[in-house]
Amino acid sequence: MSATTTTQPISAAQVRTLASVLDEIVPPSDDARFPGAGALGLAAYVEQTMAHTPDLHQMTMQGLAALDRLVQAKGAESFTALCRADRLAMLHALTTTEPAFLPTLTFHTYVGYYQHERVLEALHLDPRPPYPKGFEMPPSDLTTLLAPVRRRAER
Amino acid sequence: MADAPVDVLIIGAGASGAALAWSLADTRMNILCLEQGDWMDPEKYPAAGRDWEIRGFGDFSVSPNTRGRPEDYPVNDSDSPIAASMFNAVGGSTILYAAHFPRFRPSDFKVKTLDGIADDWPLDYERLAPYYDENARMMGVAGLAGDPAYPPKALPLPPVPLGKLGETLAGGFNKLGWHWWPSDSAIATQDYEGRAACINAGPCLTGCAQGAKASTDITYWPVAIRRGVTLKTRCRVREITVGPDGLADGVVYYDADGAERKQRAEVVVLACNGIGTPRLLLNSRSKRFPEGLANRSGMVGQNLMFHPYAMVTGLFEDRLEGYKGPMGCCLMSQEFYETDRTRGFVRGYSIETLRGLPPVSTALWGMTQGRIPWGAEHRRAYDAIFDRTAGMVIICEDLPEGHNRVTLDPELVDTDGIPAPKVTYRLSENSTRMLAHAVARGKEVLEAAGATETFAEAPLPIAGWHLMGTARMGTDPATSVVNEWGRAHDVKNLFIIDGSIFVTAAGVNPTNTIQALALYIGDMIKKNLANLFD
Ligand SMILES: Cc1cc2nc3c(=O)[nH]c(=O)nc-3n(C[C@H](O)[C@H](O)[C@H](O)COP(=O)(O)OP(=O)(O)OC[C@H]3O[C@@H](n4cnc5c(N)ncnc54)[C@H](O)[C@@H]3O)c2cc1C
Ligand code: SF4
Repeated sequence: MSATTTTQPISAAQVRTLASVLDEIVPPSDDARFPGAGALGLAAYVEQTMAHTPDLHQMTMQGLAALDRLVQAKGAESFTALCRADRLAMLHALTTTEPAFLPTLTFHTYVGYYQHERVLEALHLDPRPPYPKGFEMPPSDLTTLLAPVRRRAER
Repeated sequence: MADAPVDVLIIGAGASGAALAWSLADTRMNILCLEQGDWMDPEKYPAAGRDWEIRGFGDFSVSPNTRGRPEDYPVNDSDSPIAASMFNAVGGSTILYAAHFPRFRPSDFKVKTLDGIADDWPLDYERLAPYYDENARMMGVAGLAGDPAYPPKALPLPPVPLGKLGETLAGGFNKLGWHWWPSDSAIATQDYEGRAACINAGPCLTGCAQGAKASTDITYWPVAIRRGVTLKTRCRVREITVGPDGLADGVVYYDADGAERKQRAEVVVLACNGIGTPRLLLNSRSKRFPEGLANRSGMVGQNLMFHPYAMVTGLFEDRLEGYKGPMGCCLMSQEFYETDRTRGFVRGYSIETLRGLPPVSTALWGMTQGRIPWGAEHRRAYDAIFDRTAGMVIICEDLPEGHNRVTLDPELVDTDGIPAPKVTYRLSENSTRMLAHAVARGKEVLEAAGATETFAEAPLPIAGWHLMGTARMGTDPATSVVNEWGRAHDVKNLFIIDGSIFVTAAGVNPTNTIQALALYIGDMIKKNLANLFD
């Protein structure tokens, strides 16, 4: 991979396309409790990750370029401007021409999405890392729970 | 450059090196430990950031090949279905370990007598029992007295909480009438010896920021250093050298600046783990030991045992609060531990239940299982799994086999140019059958506990974290590397104290036994100081 490929910056239009793709990877929930991954701003997270993951950078840039070609062939203005069905059809088409694009992007999207404060809240979790607060765990009634094990050992 | 000679030189500051350093500290000998890694800063452990889960795949990966920190050495494990894992720092692999801390059972020391396989150990449970007790006090072991699977034992702290998930699984074991007991865990469940109590945060496998988990950088080392032991970090030993009398006379190592240095010592102790120790012995070739130091038997590197793991996961309807509690410690069952030949294999296994998958891991696990797709179905699929999984690992006893081994890779080297180890390992027929039995029993108990679906992976490819058998102990110099108290048959001032010296692997995690052995060897060294090299 050449240094130019790795450092070639992502354009504003490509970031918009990326956000739309992310919204298809993790769409918003019907009740709007969970935001779409694009609307959550994860394109910026992916962009940051791309900066120190050359493979992801290359794959994303290639995937977005391929998507752009499909959009142009259809004579559409942009991927974002397409209807949902067309967007999905294009992404599915990419699974054969750019087989690594969606799995790699999905991996990083999941990683960014499921550590985001808003998503943790939607999962009914405290939106914080596990340390330093930790979690309360009341002790179990081990006498009752272990009674069958003890009875069996005595036999 | 040569450093001032010392009485005892310990190589490796992990589980065993720390315990021995502490044990010998009261002799007032001049003791030095050389460790290739550095002190860890618990403030920088991943648990304090929301990206903690993904860092377990990067700079806190269990695999030295993935981490690639400067202090790591690469391991060629391409010829093994199980990848080698370890950590290189003060504390060694205890920095990452789950701290599940069972003892061997009395039967584990005499499998030849009981089952006609492998070899008996040259010592028994009774001999090690006081050292297990001492280790429990030093590491701070939590557990519940009265486990019918064991003789009475010291457990200074109350057990880790089961939580809703543990109680649910315990219900499954009870329904089937199987043995289970809260896990013995090297975790301070209350404030203990200056360590803060566990806060059930979960991410023990990327280091315990709370300092509740007993990694040896916060247990044995501070006391050993206070008592006069010197620990030098970022010093990587290349080879152990031998004098004209055939005794080890010291080591050649690279210091933090990469400069080659010589350290002389009266006694050399190897504590580099089941891969690092045979690597160093094989790298220490001389005219007298052309096949590697202390390797006249040819046993150095042979008989590598890993503990093949099965991982069985169940999906439940209710939420289980599985993100709470120490990730690897909950409860353990030894229902299928001893040999029953009707099962089609010898020896047996322990079932250790885990906690559930946290948010990112749920998504990634679902992705690899083909259960959580991207797109319109994503939300429903994720929500059906998150906090509804409960899993277990099943630790199968591995038998010693000569063809499973550590050798030197002909090309691979570490950052100092020292030849790296290569692992060659095949799963035995016995292990294959045991894993199949274990998976079936794992699914059975999960279903009894209420799982609606179960998933299994066996052998678990990443689970090469128990490294044993590659410099084994025995009374016969033709078939073993060290004697019954860890002294090399061929080199009378060389001791080996890590998992390399295990004769057999048992069906439980090894670290409590590794450390009990190190403490026992420490005591034997002290008792025999006057005629140590006779
Ligand atoms: C992810 C994970 C989970 C685990 N969970 C458990 C568990 O729940 N229960 C359990 O019992 N065990 C567990 N283990 C295993 C446990 O950590 C090991 O059994 C134990 O740490 C081994 O102790 P040791 O002294 O043999 O080696 P280590 O603790 O690995 O220490 C060896 C030290 O030697 C140093 N070293 C090696 N070569 C050189 C050299 N040439 N020069 C200088 N220094 C050198 C290394 O840097 C390292 O610090 C786990 C391990 C891992 C990785
Ligand atoms: S669960 Fe307890 S032992 Fe594990 S990392 Fe958290 S505080 Fe440490």
